[in-house]
Amino acid sequence: MARQKWSADEDIFKLFHSIGHASLLSDIQDSHSGNMAMRWKNAQGKEVIVITATGSQKGDLEPRDLCYLSPVEIDSGYYQASSETDIHVKILSLPGAQASMHAHVKELVMATLDDQPAPKTPPPFIPVDPLAFYHLGPEIPVDWFAVPSGSPEMAKTIPARLKDHPLTVIYGHGAMTRGRTLKETFFNLCLASNAGYIVRLIERQIRSTRVKRHALKTPEKQEKNLPPEAPLPVGQCPELEDLRSKMKAAPESYFHFCPAPYNPDIENRCDFPEEEEIIKEFRRAGNRLFESRLSPFHTGSMSVRGVDYLFYAPQASMPYEVGAPLLKLPLAPEPGDDVELLLHKKIYAESDFQTLIHAYVPEAEAHAHLIYPGEEAPIEKIIPVDAEGSFMYLVIPVLPPKVAEDQLITSLSDYKVAVVRGGGVWAAGGLSLSEALHHPSSLREICLYRLAAVERGLDLRKMEPEKAKKW
Amino acid sequence: MAIPGYHGRVLDIDLSTGNIKSGALTPEDILLYLGGRGLATKLFFDRMEPAADPLGPDNVIIIASSPLVGSQAPTAIWGYMVFKSPLTGYLGGCNLGGNWGRAFKASGYDAIIINGCARQPVFIDLSPEKIEIRHASHLRGKNISESINLLTSQSPGSRPCQALVIGPAGENLVKYATVASDKYSLYNRGGSGAVFGSKNLKGIRVCGEEKIRISDKARYQASLDQANYLLKQSPITRRLMRELGTAGFVLLARHLNMLPHRNFLDAEPDVEKVKAISGEAIARCYLEKADSCYECPIACLRQTAIKTNDACLRCGQGPEYETVAMMGSACDIYDLDCIIRASYLAGELGLDAVSFGGTVACAMELAEKGYLTSGQSGDLELKFGRSELLEKLVELTAYRRGSGHLLAEGSYRLASACGHPELAMQVKKLEIPGYDPRASYAQALGYMTSPTGACHRRGGYAASLSLLGGNKGIPRFSLFQSPITIRNLQNTGIIQDSLGVCYVTGFAFGVEPWSRIVSSITGYDFSAARLEEIANRVASLERLFNLQAGLNPEEEGLLPSRFAEIPIMSEGKPRAISRENMLQMCRDYYRARGWNGNGRPGDSYLKAMKVEPKKAES
Repeated sequence: MARQKWSADEDIFKLFHSIGHASLLSDIQDSHSGNMAMRWKNAQGKEVIVITATGSQKGDLEPRDLCYLSPVEIDSGYYQASSETDIHVKILSLPGAQASMHAHVKELVMATLDDQPAPKTPPPFIPVDPLAFYHLGPEIPVDWFAVPSGSPEMAKTIPARLKDHPLTVIYGHGAMTRGRTLKETFFNLCLASNAGYIVRLIERQIRSTRVKRHALKTPEKQEKNLPPEAPLPVGQCPELEDLRSKMKAAPESYFHFCPAPYNPDIENRCDFPEEEEIIKEFRRAGNRLFESRLSPFHTGSMSVRGVDYLFYAPQASMPYEVGAPLLKLPLAPEPGDDVELLLHKKIYAESDFQTLIHAYVPEAEAHAHLIYPGEEAPIEKIIPVDAEGSFMYLVIPVLPPKVAEDQLITSLSDYKVAVVRGGGVWAAGGLSLSEALHHPSSLREICLYRLAAVERGLDLRKMEPEKAKKW
Repeated sequence: MAIPGYHGRVLDIDLSTGNIKSGALTPEDILLYLGGRGLATKLFFDRMEPAADPLGPDNVIIIASSPLVGSQAPTAIWGYMVFKSPLTGYLGGCNLGGNWGRAFKASGYDAIIINGCARQPVFIDLSPEKIEIRHASHLRGKNISESINLLTSQSPGSRPCQALVIGPAGENLVKYATVASDKYSLYNRGGSGAVFGSKNLKGIRVCGEEKIRISDKARYQASLDQANYLLKQSPITRRLMRELGTAGFVLLARHLNMLPHRNFLDAEPDVEKVKAISGEAIARCYLEKADSCYECPIACLRQTAIKTNDACLRCGQGPEYETVAMMGSACDIYDLDCIIRASYLAGELGLDAVSFGGTVACAMELAEKGYLTSGQSGDLELKFGRSELLEKLVELTAYRRGSGHLLAEGSYRLASACGHPELAMQVKKLEIPGYDPRASYAQALGYMTSPTGACHRRGGYAASLSLLGGNKGIPRFSLFQSPITIRNLQNTGIIQDSLGVCYVTGFAFGVEPWSRIVSSITGYDFSAARLEEIANRVASLERLFNLQAGLNPEEEGLLPSRFAEIPIMSEGKPRAISRENMLQMCRDYYRARGWNGNGRPGDSYLKAMKVEPKKAES
């Protein structure tokens, strides 16, 4: 079958362009890496596969960068399409798979590197954050390939992996994923990147504090005549593995709640077109959540309350170009409301807040697992050590995963922002979305400074202002 | 021993009998109503007969202080006064900065209750040794600064003292007369001066050195550090207010089509003309120095002077944004010299510049349309833009001479007397201040639901968020969001008024730092949620009083028809607020407050709020 055309349909091109640009902003691609594909019915009603051309710049796609292929036969278009076209075609033949995407998810690749000799069989990646754990699964497969780019071996293994998993890792290269829509595939890849980032942050945090913990325990051990702690082999982090195994065994004890499944059916819904200013606010805040990496693509939620209704963005992190659904829902709880929506409603019912944002700030998620040297339990509050943060917030509470709703609401009343370990960041605004947005944004900076202090071997508790410790 | 931050004492003075009693402030009142506005409203509600004549002996004046006043908390120097307003017939309430609030707190009392009526002019003399009601015949007819000078220069033992006085406008029962201290710090809206005047009360002098206790000094200092830091961080509290004062809002308001023009006929006065009355123009041509209330770090007040060839002709304080907007563009007047002169004189004679400006603007429109007869105008040829008349009109009004007699009644009574009440730009007979409600639906709702009438401060200062809200900037034209926004802004205002702090701090931070400060001072947990709860309680009590005083929300609680019928252009679209939308926003607001559809707090709600319902039922 001949290549059909090189001038893309406007809508399909906009979709590819927006996702491509967003993937570059998410830093899951380099200038030319990765590829996207989806099944699509063209104007003639014929089903085709749309796929990005090889060597195209995914962040700045042109209409000529989209190839339209037959799903059943090879044509010349294949040679201009992605080098991984064969893999995509097979993935798109899986039941329910309408879209597939490959990206250089660096954070996840870095988190899965090992120094074992090739050929190797890497262990699966076990995420420690609720988004990846629940959306991508408690074990994400990792495969090593002798030829890790467009090889027949990959075309065989990867579709098989994606029968049972939404996403799979290509060792040292990236990840491939399938979804019902292109947005869902991008969602999966962003979660994967976020999961790798969080694991790496936690690991760095543990390694940086280990020396101090060791030193602190030594006198006790001497007193009790215990042997000194053996030095750890490079590359191993038993504390992280311990956390992973406990999470796998009892996720409900480590995560606040299971996020609702990704819903592709409400993609472009907007229930309140007449409220132009509020729509603009949602899009502005959503874009900031996305671009500033305060929450992975289409994760988190935000709302503005009215008297009887709330305006609700269930996929809060949204690039301008891609957007997300904006719903008008009754304030009263309804059957079928998911946990996250119910929490918005509950908070509004018991407070005067007008806006709420729930975001999965990766730095906060990781930092909430910090255990100070000499202590057994993770931190219960984040005390800013930077100038701006320490005056904006004397402290920010870190609540346990199984926090009671009332305690979360009280914390929000007192601090306007609270971290739930294994549950993201909740922030409230008295008036505007922008006000609520400021909190996760500040919190990210606060955590970055604290994480940097830990990594440099500084003693955080010496840096924390005394006055803040009282709050 | 009193709760830290309080003295635990309330002074009760009956001017008719001369009885003076000192009572105890109950811990319950403190914990449920906090201080300032909350406490004053509670004391007022318990004592005031809603149907009483505002200018009769049964009107009760409550002045209350707050737990933060007397501490080093930034801007915590404000006092709050509650009374029944002679202008509106409903709750009157306003606050006052300057130095008086702190001096009053140092007298050793948390609140003063004044009722009855003296037979001749008197002033209340409050000193550590004794409390007296003293003759004030020598102060009769004196303007504000003369009265203050006379009282403070003759204090017992020559100790430093502060005075709160009325001017001729108050003595002449001008319905929007003010009470003033420090020459130009005013309890300015709703006619408190007329209530003082009706009681033959010329003023109150206070001196004392009582201090408050601080419960947890380390926490107190930490929370003060935070609040002060945040004030220094905000460009508004750090620079704009100090450099341009509130008049710095003039050009900002014009750019948003929010600045009133010709009695709110439109909101587009000529930009070049507006520049001539802007805060920038004041700073360039009249500002002597930025001034402040007691130890306030913001320093938004203006010490100004009118000079000719470097010779100072007159000097004084201001003008503020409201004065410029209402005596200026609302009257189509752009002669800053005239506005400042009139502003000085209004301050000296004790007139609320907002209501005065609004009433004059109304009179100008009535006159231009031929509804104001020459007899009513006293042969003054009133029309928009006649700046040379401003100062004269201030004087006529304060002394109720000629056309001033009608102007002294406020815009609604003036327009009604001319047969066109719809031309009065007011809500509950209180003149709309200098923010066009069509340019901010939330502000419009704030005017409609304010307990004191069209007051941006009591109604929720939504316009300020449009001008300088930063991350609190709200949609200006959202029917959906405005009811909750206004409830929350009103609550913030109630909390600020009850803590005795300045609203300007709201540009830098919200309630949380105040929660920490008041908790550390008192030793009680006044969390942000608890402060909100107090605010909801106070709002309900204020509403109850107005309903008992006969308020019909649909008759008197809506904006004039002009705002529904004549759109202004804003953000490229015509903007008006239909009566239907006004009613819908009000109904949504009532429900947001937990009240019923008619705006009445129900029994179960009152019970949950711990508001004593028996008064409500009586």
